[in-house]
Parts: sequence; structure tokens; C-alpha cells
Amino acid sequence: MILGDLLGLPVLDSDGGRLGKAADIRFVLDGAPHQLMSDARMLGIVVSPHSAASFLGYERTNLTQPWPLAHLLRWRHRGSFLVLWEDIALIRKDAVKLRPGFTRYSPALEDLGRGR
Amino acid sequence: MKRILGVALGILTAIGGFVDIGDLVTNAVVGSRFGLSLVWVVAVGVVGICLFANMSGRVAAASGRATFEVIRERLGPRAGLANLSASFLINLMTVTAEIGGVALALQLASSVHYLLWIPVAAVAVWLVIWRVKFSIMENVTGLLGLTLIVFAVALFLLKPDWGVLAGQALAPAVPAEETAPTYWYYAIALFGAAMTPYEVFFFSSGAVEEGWTVKDLVQSRINVLVGFPLGGLLSVAIAGCAAVVLLPAGISVTSLSQVILPVAEGAGKLGLAFVLVGVVAATFGAALETTLSSGYTLAQFFGWSWGKFRRPVQAARFHLSMIICLLVGIGVLATGVDPVLVTEYSVVFSAIALPLTYLPILIVSNDPQYMGKHVNGRAVNVLALAYLVVILVASVAAIPLMIVTGAGA
Amino acid sequence: MTSPELVPLLPVQGRILDAQLHLLDRQVLDHDGVPVTTVDDLELSGPALGEEIPQGTPAPVLDALLTGPVLGTRIFGGRPPSSRLIRIHWKDVADVGVVVRLGVGGEGLDASWVERWVRDKIIARIPGGRHDPR
Repeated sequence: MILGDLLGLPVLDSDGGRLGKAADIRFVLDGAPHQLMSDARMLGIVVSPHSAASFLGYERTNLTQPWPLAHLLRWRHRGSFLVLWEDIALIRKDAVKLRPGFTRYSPALEDLGRGR
Repeated sequence: MKRILGVALGILTAIGGFVDIGDLVTNAVVGSRFGLSLVWVVAVGVVGICLFANMSGRVAAASGRATFEVIRERLGPRAGLANLSASFLINLMTVTAEIGGVALALQLASSVHYLLWIPVAAVAVWLVIWRVKFSIMENVTGLLGLTLIVFAVALFLLKPDWGVLAGQALAPAVPAEETAPTYWYYAIALFGAAMTPYEVFFFSSGAVEEGWTVKDLVQSRINVLVGFPLGGLLSVAIAGCAAVVLLPAGISVTSLSQVILPVAEGAGKLGLAFVLVGVVAATFGAALETTLSSGYTLAQFFGWSWGKFRRPVQAARFHLSMIICLLVGIGVLATGVDPVLVTEYSVVFSAIALPLTYLPILIVSNDPQYMGKHVNGRAVNVLALAYLVVILVASVAAIPLMIVTGAGA
Repeated sequence: MTSPELVPLLPVQGRILDAQLHLLDRQVLDHDGVPVTTVDDLELSGPALGEEIPQGTPAPVLDALLTGPVLGTRIFGGRPPSSRLIRIHWKDVADVGVVVRLGVGGEGLDASWVERWVRDKIIARIPGGRHDPR
């Protein structure tokens, strides 16, 4: 599948309750090593309850400039969280469905292992 | 010594490169109708273009990314495409206007009809883009454009009542025979002419063309902060000349010959010769910049190979798109449409497209991922945000004012 | 920045890339630094749309960067058939920074066929097309 199919889809919990939209897809470079870079494994989906237009990513970094733009955009994405691939039950054409008892992880990018 | 020369050259080209057909026409029109009562807009516009040109240059130097690549990355493909469509159309209009300006100036110099000069001008623009080294292109047109200083000289020679001019400039008021909407319509046109988006596209792409690094930042800052304000003074001189000669005579500017009429009156035949060289150089230089900007914006949005520093075969789509733009420009002018009119519309449409260009620059220049430690300082951010508000207001007000005033008629 | 009830993600071995933030719409350069295209979309190895994902299924990986008509469908909706997708395989990607660098030359890539066509049919035939401006 292509990423364009997935981005912006509504994300539902196991009972069909709406949690938000798929704002971004997170990958981690820890798959099978190749000559140049390792495989990029899908780690999970960043879910934003209010807006899918998340390309600026202020909710995932410590950027606070330019004030008050950064704050406004962060506020638009308040309540964003990351769900891991293991918690995804089904990806349909029109929605992503999570497994019962999924975990809401912090979407923050800082303090994560950046070892290459 | 070499370094000082470099700085001097940069400043001189910035002055000469600041004025284009949009500034020439709009300032003369405004001067002939409103005196110097809109000079404050030029000042506001110059500070704005200094601020954002400097920022886009810093982004280009720190990250190697030109403005339109950044626009696509930060706004995403949809808003990016909307921006591309708007910027590209305005750019195309400006290319058309500049080539028309070159042809009109050549007509004044040669009394050969301007329609015959149009293909000549367009081919000359193409040849320079095809063959000439970027730095030579920029320096030669910039230095020749400096002859526009004759507008300032003429203003002195006209021996105006400085008190009256200063009064108009310092205590701006809508002249009795004009309406407030018309006043504000021309304020937006002047603002658009000073802050035209192609200037930042060209400036940032030029930084990449010349391989700037953060070491070149100081020089670029001096070029911008000294050169653009002095260029702005040239704009004011153009308006001043019109205010002294044309306003009392009741002549409102509708042609290029009226723009340079005050110079002929103030500085005689020699002045006229200078101003013709200046107008040809300034419009020709701007025709180069806008044509290149058309190529830059398209190539940067779609990720094509671009740049004058490459052989044309190594940037094929970039060069092809510029050839097509020039052909379209010739085609539009061949219909006999008045280049001065095209210019007047292009500056107002520029004002409409401003927010989409300047917002992404501001966002990226705060992002350490691109900028490392060269992110914006707090003062720059505060000023830039204030400008974004002004830009937004101008952009929203432009179309309604255009309709209400019948495009300033 | 994040609500307290969110579980912090355990540190992972390897670099994190968020598609929107770090990959999509970035400029792609070949190994000589020549622009090839932009990342218009990304292709994943799975999962199949509309099929239940069994517990323990290994996570899909990035197969390819996509370009070409997929940009149009990403903007205006719809989806080109798989055969119309122009792919740059992930194994050819050398580095992801402010730009995406490839470890291969751009000349042989499907992604550069339009550029080659314009070059060979038009630009190279105009006198001076191979002139080095420097």
C-alpha cells in the first residue's frame, strides 16, 4: 500500500469510537541492514484528535518559535498520541481500527534513541 | 581590500537590482496622483523585503535549500501547489511586464515601435540565461541599473519646494481629489511592488547558485540591509519627480514616457540618456530575475535539477520551462496589451500571494533541523510576525479594493 | 508538551523517521548531488487494505519512494494503478537529512526519464546546450 492511502484516515478504537486522524506514520531504521541504510520498519501511527494537517510537527518537538505560531499549531494538535503497529487490528480504505486495550504512547521525538 | 570591493559590488547591485518596471510605474503613478503621501508605504515595504530576503538568504546558506523547496516541504503538496500556481502566474505576468518595459524603453531610445523590440528583448533575455555566468549577469545589470540615480539628481535639479514634499511625506493625507479606497489601493500596489515574491525566490536561489555558506552571511546581510533601502530611496526619488512635475500639471501616468518626463525636464538630454540606460538595465535585469524565478519555482516544487551553474543539458526541464515562459510572454505582448497595464495588475496580484510565500520562510528559519544554530532571533520573529499580519491584511483587502476602485481608476 | 497519561516510548535502537516530517516532499539528490525528484509518496510492504492483521504480524517496511503521477493523485485524490508508480527503491537511499540522498546515479533511474527525454530531444539540440557556464 502507499502512504497517501493511510494518512488522514480516521482512527477508531475496537468499538468503532473515533479517536482522531492518522496525522503521520513513524518509522524506525532498525530492520535488515543493507549496504546503505537499514530497512525502515513501521513503528506506528501518530494520531491527532483535532487535525490531520500535522506536517509542521510542533507537537512532537520542543520548538517554541516563532511565537505564537508554534503554540497555536501545538494547541491544534493537543492530545496527539502514538499507537504502535502491534496495536493496529485492521487498515481499511476508509479507517484504521485498533486492537482492544491499545496503548497511547507519547508522540515526542526528543529523547528517543537517535543512534544510527 | 578584495572583501571591501565585494561588499561594495554587492551593495551597488542590490541598489540597481531593487527597482523594476513595477517600482518604476507604480511609484510614478503614485507620485503623479498622491504626491509623496504614500512614501511611508515604500519604507514599510523596504523593511519587509530586507527582513524576509535576509531570512531566505540565511535559510539557503545554512541548509542549502531554496525558498520554493522549503514551501513545498512545509506546506505540503496541496497548499504548495496553490502557492505555485499563484506565484507562477504572477511571475509570468511580471516577466511579460518586464520584457514589455525593456521594449518600451528601447522604443523611447530608438523611436522604433516597441512591438518590434519585444522579440529582440526576449531573445536577449534567453541568451543571457542560456550562456552568461550568474555573477556577471547580476553585476552588470545591477551596475547599469544604478544610472537610475539620475531620478534623484533630477529631483534636486528641479529645485522643488522641499518643505511641501517633506510635509506630504511626513504627514500623509489623502489628497482632496482622490478617495480613501483609491489611496489604500495604491498603498497595496506599492507594498506589492516593494515586496514582490520573485525577489525572495531569486535571492534564495541565487544564494544556492553562488554556493553561499554561513560564512557569506555577513556580506549578504550588508548587501540587503544597505542596498535595498538605498534602492527604496530610488523609488522615492521616482515618486518625488512625478510629484514635482506631473502632479501640478495634472498628468497621471499611463505610459513609460511619462515616467521619465520629469528627468528630461530636470536633467536635460544627458539625464534622459542616463535614465534610458537605467530603465533598460533595470527592466532587463528584472526580466532575467523573473524568468529565472519562473524556472526556479517550478523546478524546486517538482524536484527537477536546476541552476545556471549547471550546463543547460544538466537542467533540461528548468531551461525548457523558461523558454516556454518567454514564448508565452512574447505571445501575450503580441496581442498589443499595454505593458504598463500588465505591470499595474501584476504588483497588486503580488500583494495577494505574499502570505503564502513568507509564512513558510518564517517557519523554516526557526527550525534547527534546517538552520542549526542560525535560527531566527526573538526580535526578528516579532518583527516578522508583525509583518505577516500586515501582509495578510493587504492580501485580503487587495481584491475588494480593486473592485471598489475599478483598479485605481 | 504531552499529557501525563501518555506512556513514554521506550528508547528504540535506530533512527526515528516520521513520514510527513522527515520524508514526504523532500528533495531527492543522486550520489553526485544532482536533484532527481521529490518524495511524492512512499510505498509500504504491507498490509493489505481491508484484511485483519493477525497478532504478531511483523511490521511492514518502506519499500520505495514514489514519484510521478502519484503527486497528482495525492493532491487531487484518487490513486494511480500500481504499474504507473515510479519507484526509487529504499535500498538505493543513502541518507535522509534535510534532503534525501541516493547511493546511485540519477541517470539510470525511472524517475528521471522525463528529464532525459527533454534533454535529448530538445535542450541538447539547441546550440550551446552543453556549454559550461563556469
